[in-house]
Amino acid sequence: MLSRVAESLYWMSRNLQRAESLARIVDVAFNRTVDRNVAGRQQATAMWRSVLGLVGVPGDDAYPGGSRFATDAFALATFSREHHSSIVSCIHIARQNAASVRAELSSEAWEAVNALYLFIEKQSPRAVVRAGPSSLLREIRDAGVAFGGIVDATITHGEEWNFLQLGRYLERAAMTSAILQTHDEADDSVPEWQRILEMCCASEPFARTLRHSNDPHDALAFLLLHRTFPRSVRYCTVEVDQALHRLSETQPGTFSNEAELVTGRLAAMLDFVRLAEIVDDGAVGFSRRLAGRLAEIGTSVEATYFPLVPAA
Amino acid sequence: MARKIADDGPKGRTMQPLLELYEQDACYDEYATENGVPRPHYAGLAATLRAIEWSDLRAREQTVNAVLLQRGVTFTVYADSRGTERIMPFDLIPRIIPGSEWSRLSRGVAQRVRALNAFLADVYHEQRILREGVIPWDLVYSSKFFCREMIGLRVHRNVYIHVSGIDLIRGSDGTYYVLEDNLRSPSGISYVLENRDVLKRSFPKLFENYQPLPVDDYPLRLRAALRDSAPQGLRSSGRDEPTIVLLTPGIYNAAYFEHTLLARRMGVELVEGNDLIVHDNVVFMKTTRGLQRVDVIYRRIDDDFLDPLYFRPDSSVGIAGLMNAYRAGNVVIANAVGTGVADDKAVYPHVPAMIRFYLDEEPILENVPTFDCTNEREREHVLAHLGQLVVKNTNQSGGYGMLMGPASTAEEREHFREAICAHPRDFIAQPVIQLSSHPTIAGERLAPRRVDLRPFVLYGREVDVPPAALTRVALSEGSLVVNSSQGGGSKDTWIIEDEG
Repeated sequence: MLSRVAESLYWMSRNLQRAESLARIVDVAFNRTVDRNVAGRQQATAMWRSVLGLVGVPGDDAYPGGSRFATDAFALATFSREHHSSIVSCIHIARQNAASVRAELSSEAWEAVNALYLFIEKQSPRAVVRAGPSSLLREIRDAGVAFGGIVDATITHGEEWNFLQLGRYLERAAMTSAILQTHDEADDSVPEWQRILEMCCASEPFARTLRHSNDPHDALAFLLLHRTFPRSVRYCTVEVDQALHRLSETQPGTFSNEAELVTGRLAAMLDFVRLAEIVDDGAVGFSRRLAGRLAEIGTSVEATYFPLVPAA
Repeated sequence: MARKIADDGPKGRTMQPLLELYEQDACYDEYATENGVPRPHYAGLAATLRAIEWSDLRAREQTVNAVLLQRGVTFTVYADSRGTERIMPFDLIPRIIPGSEWSRLSRGVAQRVRALNAFLADVYHEQRILREGVIPWDLVYSSKFFCREMIGLRVHRNVYIHVSGIDLIRGSDGTYYVLEDNLRSPSGISYVLENRDVLKRSFPKLFENYQPLPVDDYPLRLRAALRDSAPQGLRSSGRDEPTIVLLTPGIYNAAYFEHTLLARRMGVELVEGNDLIVHDNVVFMKTTRGLQRVDVIYRRIDDDFLDPLYFRPDSSVGIAGLMNAYRAGNVVIANAVGTGVADDKAVYPHVPAMIRFYLDEEPILENVPTFDCTNEREREHVLAHLGQLVVKNTNQSGGYGMLMGPASTAEEREHFREAICAHPRDFIAQPVIQLSSHPTIAGERLAPRRVDLRPFVLYGREVDVPPAALTRVALSEGSLVVNSSQGGGSKDTWIIEDEG
């Protein structure tokens, strides 16, 4: 398989996953700020700043807050073409990558990406703001989730699919650790952790699994370490590890390249870490270090599989 | 000159008359005879159209366009800085060609390709046709597309033209003429494949009645031709098969959609110049498992851009060292380098002579009469009749650099007059051929619009003419220019078996 193609598949998958995650995050943030029950304006502004941080908008300057701050922040996170992590930018990048690997994608997969692109292109930001963002964000979220199902069901689970898996799970892990970093450590309240769970698409699975626990440590452990929740950092790391070993056709638990080495180490750490150690570290601090190690995996995947001139 | 066509079908309730108002132009009409009676092979279509409400046809048209947009069957509008993508206008009314007519056309284009291929093999080796004075030396050597690097270079089976598209038009008496031979990666086949696919969904019943010959095996026939283009030594895939790739300039190329479609349907890698690298005169592609050897390159980029070391040094879509690998016989390039000399517009008038010279046959298809501007007498005639002729620049294509005499201004004619006198080798002139017309959706009615026909010809071991031809249609009234770059559209083209 061409290195360029592998790279495009990987970035297409990452960007679609990011668009899906962002759509959910923005939706949660919007719902929480238009709601009268939130603790107050200042807190809401702080939350939006942290959300905009995920989109690559450097909070304080670009987003001063203001009377219509929820609407303004929503429009910025969704439609900004200047910021390469806004939802619309992610979809553009994904579609650009999809276009360059059209021959390798199934028609269904390409059409799904193209349809999402055409959909976002025909939206007028002003009209969306008037109608409320919920249905738009929902469409984007659903299209992102559906894309995973479409590729799973329409392409062979060979090399191409493994690069899609790499992108999808690495992005999910990165997003969960990024959302945890937005946690306000002074506030361990139920609504604050509920927000974090919702942004990670975890509130219902968490409620079902932990029987409506109110303990923030349970939520933290669920998001980081749960074995079968498909957005926990541990689950995603295991998926990345497996995709890498399928690609190199080597045994899990061994390594044949840098990407497998750093992924294997992270997976082992997540297997054997005690919750108490994480709590000692602090949710934010631990997540920040985690994000660094995930970024390292990304860099080593690129160096292993997408070099400009691969070793013969 | 407009003639109203009598319609003897049942008059619809309150529906918009579709065919009742079809008024013919003063040219050959594909659908109806001069008396306005549908030709026998169009009777079934006429009956279907009579039974369809106008609003229904509109609704089907919208569905089709939405499907084409979603699939991304688009070309990029270069002039637009945002890189806007548009679908090529697709007209729902199919063009129908009877089997007997098609068999003559396909024999005609196959004969032409055989002769043109023999010409290429000859001018790059023995040059018999030049030495025997059938075609003048300086015509070939002055061609911008004559490639000196190809002289003496053997290509497998002597096949140069693996893929070509021959443009046919019909004069006012219905005679087919060859307007142009396209021997340098012609495009359009993706429209044939997609048009068929979407139209089938819109008019399933009509298809069932007509049973047009299928077009969808084209990609496999193309792959077979490419496979046969490689000598036995080039079988690097390890399964007695050559490794074939399709080389594209990239996603901003107008025909990118076609490149992806063909690569996908043939099951070959779609590569860009940067994906390939030449080591020790062998071409490799850069894969996730290191370098993999490439045997056959079906290239969709021009000669000029293939190799920055040989041709344009500023090419960013080519591969440095490719020509050395080609000359060493380590890779097949399809079409071969240098085929352009055979479809040079100034060489075109000599194709009938080539057919007689190489094949010892009479041409099955006629050329459009053409004036050679390097001949003083013919040039004088051209200059005296600029207002009635079509003048074409031999170095340009796609409807660019053309003077349509009857529609030209005095200023344009003066411009061409000076250019012809300064560079007579760069121009040819032809009488205006009317082109046949075909019912086409135009606003709120069906109206005659001019069409041409491009059959595609494959050549691996033998010449193969798949029943997949592109009909292009000039969408504005009276226009004779069908190029997509000039606002042309396309139609599905049905080749049907004759009855009995």
